[in-house]
Amino acid sequence: MEKRRVVITGSGLTSSLGLDVGVFYDRLEAGNSAVRLMDGWSDKLKINRIAAPVVLPEGLEKTIPRTFRRSMGRMSIYSALAAEKALHASGLTREFTASGRCACVIGSTMGSGESIMEASRIVILNDSENMPALQFFKCASHSAAFNTANFLGLTGCVLAPAAACASGLQAIGLGRDLIQSGAQDAAICGGAEEVTPEVTASFELMFAAARGFSGPPEYSSRPFAADRVGLVCGEGAGLVVLEEYEHAVKRGANIYGEIIGYATCGCGSHVSQSDHRSIVRCMDLAFRDAAVSPAQTDYISAHATATLHGDAEEAMAIREFFGSGTPVSSLKGHLGHTLGASGAIELIASLEMMRRDRLLPTLNLEHIADDCAGLDHVRSVREQKISIFVKNCFAFGGINATLICRRV
Amino acid sequence: MTREEIIAAINSTFIEQFEISEDKLTPDKQIFNDLGLDSLDIVDLMVGLQRRFGISLRENEEIRKVVTLGDVYEFFVRLEAKRNKPKT
Repeated sequence: MEKRRVVITGSGLTSSLGLDVGVFYDRLEAGNSAVRLMDGWSDKLKINRIAAPVVLPEGLEKTIPRTFRRSMGRMSIYSALAAEKALHASGLTREFTASGRCACVIGSTMGSGESIMEASRIVILNDSENMPALQFFKCASHSAAFNTANFLGLTGCVLAPAAACASGLQAIGLGRDLIQSGAQDAAICGGAEEVTPEVTASFELMFAAARGFSGPPEYSSRPFAADRVGLVCGEGAGLVVLEEYEHAVKRGANIYGEIIGYATCGCGSHVSQSDHRSIVRCMDLAFRDAAVSPAQTDYISAHATATLHGDAEEAMAIREFFGSGTPVSSLKGHLGHTLGASGAIELIASLEMMRRDRLLPTLNLEHIADDCAGLDHVRSVREQKISIFVKNCFAFGGINATLICRRV
Repeated sequence: MTREEIIAAINSTFIEQFEISEDKLTPDKQIFNDLGLDSLDIVDLMVGLQRRFGISLRENEEIRKVVTLGDVYEFFVRLEAKRNKPKT
């Protein structure tokens, strides 16, 4: 039986570089970085107080009615706002999204980190009597997914893959599978994440977070660079609307691109150290699924978070699988690492590159590291038509995910 | 606390926690039907009132019987009177 085709017909985001896809893209192209000093983080935490936060305009979150907002942590608010925009962009009707044929698949590393910390403090202070009734709903792992689904009245499958930094891309892959198999006709999919000092501290403990860079914060996230010092945490939400091809064509939807391949796999060995062999295997599985050749790829949106080990392993995998002729860049220099949201936010940026026939460079890449060399690193904005691009995500837990998109 | 202070404190809880405008806060309003709260909100209402009045309400049977905003006012007015009653 022929597989059903799945296309992207809407996108929306809540990002540290803007809440509108056009503004977000323009800031990326202008070489802006959202990384800054986090004044609100206590210096008692003894962590490098830098991150790439979302700044919401005053009153925006109150556009979500209180009955929906009361169970949302910051992450779910980002997700709901982004999903509302994605749905609006797609032109799908409320009648359709309430038909049971539209899924909501949104991943994140965990529930709202800020809410989990609040709940922990209440328990530690032996003050459980004053625990808000909705605290659990902010902390639950599927918080962004169910909050967004309820806010938008989505009655299809509600799923929430939790695979750390691959969560958002896994959500989109899962949405693709649901539509391809015929279980659903459309899906709102993506990832959401909120940045907290506790998460940053966890990365610092493992020597994965940027530390020791002496320049201004906006230069501190340096993927593939010889002087990279680790990742900088970011936050936000990216949501795309996936739809069965014929369904989209029939209603005259604007088609952003087609998902032609997807794969996810475990490395089977280590919780935190990516290994190039399993990354190659993941990309190979995705290309077999897409039934196209790696040589047909016009652009690779790398995971590259600026960690010493991760960037080198990914570069090695790309060299081995694609050779040195396929353009590669990472957007972590602009956005920091938005963890579970990164796959979706960077996919949206890549779709916009494809629409505009332009490749965005890796920011802060003055000197390419020897262990990341041998690739066609995009180092300035490049005019180029994209017909096929790849989005990679690699996550703690040894999880890989690769998605392949094609211009329609 | 005077009766007026108690009412003002309760109204503040409804305004801050449930974003209800002050003009809707009249004693005849039913908490579920007129003010739009549900069972989850009632838990948060109790938490908010506990913090504001410095008392524990979870095991209090009487507070569970309130229907209108006026009932909430009267519950706390009575509670305050009990607190202030001279010990014999």
